[in-house]
Amino acid sequence: MRVLFVTVLLSTIAAVGGKAASFDELAEKAAAARRANQIPEAIAFYRQAVELRALWAEGWWFLGTLSYASFQYADCQDAFDKFVKLDDKRPLAWTLLGLCEFETGAYDRALDHLRRGLAGEDLAPDVEPVARFHYGLLLSRAGNFDQGRRELERYARGAAREPMLVEGLGLNALHERWLPNEIPAERRALIEKAGIATSHWILGETDRAESGFQELLQEYPTAAGVHYLYGFYLSSTRPGQAMAELRRELELDPANADAAAMLALLLMHTEDTAKALRLAEAAATEQPSDALAEYACGEVLAETGDARTAIAYLEAAERLDPAVLQYRMALAGAYSQTGRYEDARRERKLSMEMAARAHAGD
Amino acid sequence: MNGGRRAGRQSCGAAVLCVACAIGVRGAAPHAKKATCATCHPAQARPQPATGMGIGMELPPDQRLLREHPKLTLEANGYRYRIESAHGKSTYTVSDGSGELTLPVRYAFGVQSETFVLEYGGRFYESLVSYYHPLKGLGITLGDEGLRPRSLVEAIGRQTSDQEIAACFDCHGTGGVKQGKLALDSLQPGVTCEHCHAGAGKHMQAIAAGKAAAFPRKLGTMAAEEMSNFCGQCHRTWETVVSLGLFGEKNVRFQPYRLANSRCFLGDDRRIRCTACHDPHTELVRDDASYDRACLSCHDLKGAAPVGAGAATPKACPAGDRDCVSCHMPKVRMPAGQAIFTDHQIRVVHAGDPYPN
Repeated sequence: MRVLFVTVLLSTIAAVGGKAASFDELAEKAAAARRANQIPEAIAFYRQAVELRALWAEGWWFLGTLSYASFQYADCQDAFDKFVKLDDKRPLAWTLLGLCEFETGAYDRALDHLRRGLAGEDLAPDVEPVARFHYGLLLSRAGNFDQGRRELERYARGAAREPMLVEGLGLNALHERWLPNEIPAERRALIEKAGIATSHWILGETDRAESGFQELLQEYPTAAGVHYLYGFYLSSTRPGQAMAELRRELELDPANADAAAMLALLLMHTEDTAKALRLAEAAATEQPSDALAEYACGEVLAETGDARTAIAYLEAAERLDPAVLQYRMALAGAYSQTGRYEDARRERKLSMEMAARAHAGD
Repeated sequence: MNGGRRAGRQSCGAAVLCVACAIGVRGAAPHAKKATCATCHPAQARPQPATGMGIGMELPPDQRLLREHPKLTLEANGYRYRIESAHGKSTYTVSDGSGELTLPVRYAFGVQSETFVLEYGGRFYESLVSYYHPLKGLGITLGDEGLRPRSLVEAIGRQTSDQEIAACFDCHGTGGVKQGKLALDSLQPGVTCEHCHAGAGKHMQAIAAGKAAAFPRKLGTMAAEEMSNFCGQCHRTWETVVSLGLFGEKNVRFQPYRLANSRCFLGDDRRIRCTACHDPHTELVRDDASYDRACLSCHDLKGAAPVGAGAATPKACPAGDRDCVSCHMPKVRMPAGQAIFTDHQIRVVHAGDPYPN
């Protein structure tokens, strides 16, 4: 019905005065319709105008934003795809392109484009949270769980009211590479429980988090990721118990590189460095694209005195996830130990800048 | 034993200086002396217990500082604080005019200046007021200046997490923390040999029994970066300070962090490590000129001092060749005057320069 309406409208507009409208006329009419909040008319005029002048960036811009507002994601995607080829400096364009691609299922492109958009400044305050949430979902889908968690945990407070948020947190927490609409029915309850417990954890509601995790363990004692999640939760406060949980996870899922990496780091603190190194090396070999595994290997090597070998692993960790302060600081320390003073100073300077940004407003 | 940032410190319930066993190396003598670390290492082990680190904290009835100042008071944030000592016991009282709360002072952390750890309702609190030597009295505890208590309980001080309080006891005492949990029944005040020299107790027992002994790691093999992390386990590493965002003048008290920010901090060089200037077995030397030797080990006016590969040639100071620290490691007084620290971020200081983070 909408298509028919637009076609009739286009025909009517084109026939105005019995002659084809000029570009300038169409552009003026499009702007007027937009300002009058006549969205379908505006879309129609902009579409005609860009057919006459394909290099008119503003036309593609408004076609994109109006299509997005009308939930016409395929059209929005097409319009912003054209726009960014003409002007690639607008973060909002990349962001909206990414969001439309999310809706049309072009997930890999969506991830790249949201990353690009979010790297810019001054995104509209009503767009950024939506963008970051979808970016977090896509990062998790791509296996970048640490980065995904950092995006999603901003919205933990809203999880109580929004099922998609709960699902997003749960998927990330259990390292499942699905989007919420892809969760198999038989896994949904587990994902939701994990998401709720994780949201309590993020919000510092320790009693609720603890009881949430206990429920999860009781109901799903052999589900992949559950013991890892609880071990992660315990790692900074109850390391002994955390190690037991991580060991259990590795019994159930020997390929869980993050569990191996985390266990290696905990063992390092108990000075069982030989075992820690074996675990860390195995994790990094198994999953060279896993930043935590690379970091764990680097840290344990540095701890055993082999800072030179550690550097390669720590550089890999930083490259894979440059937003993690810990990786950068560890790399600075390894550079310092091996006489690479300027490299150490550079990393320390960057680390301090990162930390200052993170703690701004404390 | 491999090197490592955290090597050298184990939680240990056997961190004792005296071992009640005969020396059996060449046959036990009828009245053999009891072996201690000082038996073989007198230069280090004899003076160490009397140092600030060796004392670490004061437990009743040996709370000397509170005995010497039996009544300390302060009014702050609408509350009145009173620390009183008599007959070997001390109490910490906070009142708001209509009510008051009095708690025993069991743990006094520090030596010349002291912060008190109090217990209430099953939790530990860092006292909101501390004794500061420069003030000769009480002041708000460093780091707690922003606290605005709304009740007597809050006015006690800052409630600490389990991890934090374990770290406090682990640095100011020995044997009071086991596997990350408090074990205060076995707490000994102060940093003992075992604290830094992990395995020292077993080593000593083995030697005393005439057996082959494993040797604790020689900490003298550490270069600057490694030692900075080692000492930083208590004095705060560079990583700890940065990850906690402890920026501003109050981080002057975290010497490993400040030193690592120095332009001349070469992580693989021993001449800039903590022990290049400080002997942890003896009391802190406060004669600034005595540190010149360490500075000149690199900044030799004759220009003959080699440094690590890749480092810039150290310059000789155009202004002088003595009392280096008086210019290049300025003293920083805390805003409320509670303490004065030597800034370990070695640098050329210009009048009016802001405090470098």
